[in-house]
Amino acid sequence: MKFEWFIASRYLRSRRKQSFISIISIISIGGVALGVATVILVIAVLDGVEHGLKDRFLSNEAHVALHIFDHSFFKDYQERIQRIEAIENVVAASPVVFAQIGVFPEHSNTIQDVIYIKGIDPAQEDEVTGFSTYVTGSTDFQNSELIEKAAFIRDETIAGGIILGGRLATRLGAMKGDVLRLLIKLVDIGTGSLTPDLANFVVIGFYESEMEAYDSNFGFIHIDTAQKLYNQQNRVNFIFVRLTDAELAPQIATKIEDAADFSVLEGMPNARTWMEAQAALFSALQLEKIATVIIEALIILVASFNIASTLIMTVMEKTKDVGTLRTLGASRGNIMRIFMIQGSVIGTLGTMIGTGLGLSICWLLSTNTERPSYWYILALVVPIVLQFLMASRHALRSKGGWKFAVGVLWLIGVGFALYCAVRPISLVDLGLSQIYQTHQLPIKINWVFVIFINLLSFVICWFATLYPAWQAANLKPVEALQHE
Amino acid sequence: MSNRSETLIRIVDLHKSYYDGESELRVLQGIDLEIKTSELLAVIGASGVGKSTLLHIMGTLDRPTAGQVLYGDQDVFTMPEAELARFRNQEVGFVFQFHHLLPEFNALENVAMAALITTPSNKAIYKEAAALLEYVGLAERLSHYPSQLSGGERQRVAIARALINKPKVVLADEPTGNLDRRSSEAVHELLWDLNAKSGQTFVIVTHNSELAEQVDRVVKLADGKVVL
Repeated sequence: MKFEWFIASRYLRSRRKQSFISIISIISIGGVALGVATVILVIAVLDGVEHGLKDRFLSNEAHVALHIFDHSFFKDYQERIQRIEAIENVVAASPVVFAQIGVFPEHSNTIQDVIYIKGIDPAQEDEVTGFSTYVTGSTDFQNSELIEKAAFIRDETIAGGIILGGRLATRLGAMKGDVLRLLIKLVDIGTGSLTPDLANFVVIGFYESEMEAYDSNFGFIHIDTAQKLYNQQNRVNFIFVRLTDAELAPQIATKIEDAADFSVLEGMPNARTWMEAQAALFSALQLEKIATVIIEALIILVASFNIASTLIMTVMEKTKDVGTLRTLGASRGNIMRIFMIQGSVIGTLGTMIGTGLGLSICWLLSTNTERPSYWYILALVVPIVLQFLMASRHALRSKGGWKFAVGVLWLIGVGFALYCAVRPISLVDLGLSQIYQTHQLPIKINWVFVIFINLLSFVICWFATLYPAWQAANLKPVEALQHE
Repeated sequence: MSNRSETLIRIVDLHKSYYDGESELRVLQGIDLEIKTSELLAVIGASGVGKSTLLHIMGTLDRPTAGQVLYGDQDVFTMPEAELARFRNQEVGFVFQFHHLLPEFNALENVAMAALITTPSNKAIYKEAAALLEYVGLAERLSHYPSQLSGGERQRVAIARALINKPKVVLADEPTGNLDRRSSEAVHELLWDLNAKSGQTFVIVTHNSELAEQVDRVVKLADGKVVL
């Protein structure tokens, strides 16, 4: 193999002054590197978004929600909860009255919004969704000072306190201490027409989980109040369950259904996992990721075409040399290996540089450090550039032996200058922090995937070398010799 | 030194045709030739008569349409490709009209090349290559690249290269066809000297009548056959 390496490495460097192949090698390496870097970066961001969403989502979402198919109420829920909590890997369960209701703001007689209401036992709910950690204001639904004050001022019956999602409150223009009128249900009072059954609630706090779905759609009231309003004493229609590990939800869901032990009359139980609840979102993310991987594989494929064309050009340029080598007794295998080594070196270098580049951009995106000041950049970059200019001049004057090394140093130098110039990308600057509700682009590097992409890139590049190398190996020695 | 009367290469009823669509161009039409060990043989003939083709086939670079080339008792074209390449590497040295040096490599590396194909790089090879370059009078030019050498110097490097593996036969295709008179003479002298010293067999295709007069034997080709 030594002989093939000897030739291939010289062809990569290309000492001949008039030759442009070495520049082409650099371009090919750059092509592969860019492809690999993009793949790693894009997948890291997608993984990061998914992971971030999941994380935030799971922190305040129950892992399993148990209910009867038609959402009807059931009794004996505390007993059922005890049985559910006895299941292995179940951390806690919480009874919930879950409903959708209309909201009348103060001084208004039209429905302004329809919101979800969770009637909860704060202590039990805390165990499952960490409810109170997201609340600003009081969580004491019954005995708040605000309720008494509102009741005193309005001279109205107050059903209880309500905690509104932060964004919902903004939308409704509700301040702490305001009274909200909720449409619980429509009642037939015997006249043939339906009359709304309204209840007054005082806003006692705000729920801010940074999950859009909750913050702008949910209100929380006490479970006892909810049961009273719906006339369902000692009954609930949901039990929310938290597990030790969210990924176990599908296995444990059936156990929960069994433990709940609903009778036939009560109805069919359904333990919905968070995955099912958010299936649309996560399957969309999954689909996006698959599509991205395919597109990125195509990018690497394009880069590999680059390698192939570089090699074909090299073969064309070196046809005469191939002929000479054949007269010297190089076999077809020797010739084939020379060009395969050349291509593989390009592929390997490109993949390695690309991996480094991708990972460092990931790091750059995920780091919180501030951009160094311009003076600092100047102080670093200017001497480096000057040094390189001097070195390059020297290299160009000398017979080109240093050219490759200087080229690599240039790459590093330019890379460093770019690094200094790019601030760790902040979503606030991009105006995206509202959507992702975070200041930094979420980045999660999946090392298995990085290794996979490396292997994929190696394999694709290796295949790209096959045809040109085969072409070179099959040149007829005599014709190759006479090639001009 | 081996015996001059021993036959090294035997060419038996060699035919070579080139096909261009329907038409057949018959270049060699039954060449019979015996070349003895240590012989210095010149092949002459008009342009296009197939001298180079014959040389290429003798050097296993090309395959005949019919006929045999025997080195000793071995019909070389029955060997598989890899073995043939090895054979070419070990037993045959080539010198062409154009030097065909590899431009990316310096004189020393060019000379060592044939040895490097089969043997991992080592000092002995480069020492041998340096000795050969010294012998052809280029001791000062070891690290020069082909582009930095004159035509005569390049051709001398090419001769040194042909000798690195101590081949039994050196095939030269108009080795001085591209050189001026003085350089030609220097190359000629080098070839005679080599032949005398090493006892290697030389087959030289040439137009140069001066050269042809100084060899052991002249073979003339005409109409695809040996006529002299």
